[in-house]
Amino acid sequence: MNEFYTILTGSLVAISCSLLGSFLILRKMAMVGDAISHAVLPGIVIAYLLGETREMIPMLIGAAAFGVLTTVLIELFHKKARLQTDASIGITFTFLFALGIILISAFAGQVDLDQDCVLYGDIAMVPLDLWITDAGLNLGPRQVWILGVNLLVVLAFILIGYKGLFITTFHEEYAATVGIAAGFWHYSLMSTVSLTTVVSFESVGAILVVAFLVVPPATAYLLTEKLPVMLGLSALFGVISAILGNMLATWLDGSIAGAMTAVAGGLFLLTFLFSPKQGILMRLKFR
Amino acid sequence: MSSMNKNLTIKGYFSLILFGLAFSLISCQGGGTKEKSGKLNIVCTTGMIADAVTNLAGDHAEVSALMGPGVDPHLYKATQGDLARLTEADIIFYNGLHLEGKMADVFEKLARTKPTIAFSNGVNKERFLNNANFAESFDPHIWFDVSIWTEAAAYAATVLQEQDPEHAAEYQANADKLSREYNDLHQWVKDEIATIPQEGRVMVTAHDAFEYFGRAYEIEVRGLQGISTMSEYGLQDVTKLVDFIVERKIKAVFVESSVPRKSLEAVVEGCKARGHEVSIGGTLFSDAMGEANSPEGTYPGMVKANVNTIVNALR
Repeated sequence: MNEFYTILTGSLVAISCSLLGSFLILRKMAMVGDAISHAVLPGIVIAYLLGETREMIPMLIGAAAFGVLTTVLIELFHKKARLQTDASIGITFTFLFALGIILISAFAGQVDLDQDCVLYGDIAMVPLDLWITDAGLNLGPRQVWILGVNLLVVLAFILIGYKGLFITTFHEEYAATVGIAAGFWHYSLMSTVSLTTVVSFESVGAILVVAFLVVPPATAYLLTEKLPVMLGLSALFGVISAILGNMLATWLDGSIAGAMTAVAGGLFLLTFLFSPKQGILMRLKFR
Repeated sequence: MSSMNKNLTIKGYFSLILFGLAFSLISCQGGGTKEKSGKLNIVCTTGMIADAVTNLAGDHAEVSALMGPGVDPHLYKATQGDLARLTEADIIFYNGLHLEGKMADVFEKLARTKPTIAFSNGVNKERFLNNANFAESFDPHIWFDVSIWTEAAAYAATVLQEQDPEHAAEYQANADKLSREYNDLHQWVKDEIATIPQEGRVMVTAHDAFEYFGRAYEIEVRGLQGISTMSEYGLQDVTKLVDFIVERKIKAVFVESSVPRKSLEAVVEGCKARGHEVSIGGTLFSDAMGEANSPEGTYPGMVKANVNTIVNALR
């Protein structure tokens, strides 16, 4: 049962993250997940200073607010200051992270307060964190429900907004001429990314989320040039990473998140070598 | 790029997920079957807790610790095997006071389905240190005041008696024996620390783990980092600490088994530059005990090793 929940949790995170990650990669914003993982620190500290508690809900609200702020600032620096997105991401998250560190040392130096101990969950702990109703009914792990609802939101967003996302991702200037608001789709996508990353951090920790946002979409990118196929493949690679990662973790008796991330990296490496179109070996053969 | 193709792909995944969720609902109803093999299966978070519980339970329980020697509880991540042990455990003991970070949230919930007990719950709240001026943010390092740990262990014994009433008398006897042992240890530490001359009775360490120790045994404690091993120390922290060491002519500073030593080496270098020779007095066990089967692999052994290191370096 434990392993089933671990795989299910990993798969839910993997699908949400790799679907959104596909769009991020195509928009050259792959590291936005990593940026959010750092930039939520001031949100946590402010939530703690206001509420004087390390309970989950205030921490999540603080983190989510700063997740959205991060994406707004990235877009602002990119559009208004004409910075490259990578530079814009770098400036935004280091600035916000530093703000968090300063807040901690100024106001909460003696409190054990950082993402690791108040926000980041551990996927290994998910099967123990059960949702039991007042009537005593065991509904399974709390995170599976939260991540499941989040995945539905992500799927609904992509299904409903597919056209807008597609056009603003590939033909931004054309979108502007036909009156599609690129800004609207950008902020919608980024808000969904913030929500997904913060909720996923709370369930499975940072490294797995950042990895699933980048690695499965990058792997799929090597195999196809069609967006729907890329979305499907990256979700599939994410789920395979979760399943094989869980097996690897059992075999090694090691960190589950680490093993899933390593498998995702391994899949990328295999694709990089053997992909029929872009693979290194094929290119050497037909040169 | 056909939109039909897209819809098919996404619908396929959608139904897979719905199936998965439904399956998780159906298959989780049967959890919580417990098999009794006679012995209690007890899982503890830190080695210090496991050592106390092993002594209390005697032959009636298998006791194991999740965090091994040298593991920083702040950075601990559970493995697949740890998860299995927690699932199969009859009783779980943890430290509490946020030592286990977010894992404690899970333990609080787990308490609804099986006895999951915070050691700190057995201690009178007024004995907790709170340096942060925030409500409910107590210093978790309670095991460094042996008299507090005695109180916590006595509480753990009552838990064992409740869970396994058949052997209650034995648990009581073990508890009395352990309590005597800890009382002797408490007195021994007091006497040893008192042999350090008053003006030199200052211990400088990498992070604030020894506040309870300092209060109980009348030795001043200075830490470079805050409570959390994650929080960064600033340049000013280093400078302040160097000033303090030079001014008080302190002979030695201490590194900890679960915190990297490089942070304190900066302080030693800083003192050298100011013409004051301070040595690294040795390694203290702070958040974790020594290797199993070594003298420091038990709670009293760990306390004694720390005290000997401190006394030898400062006397």
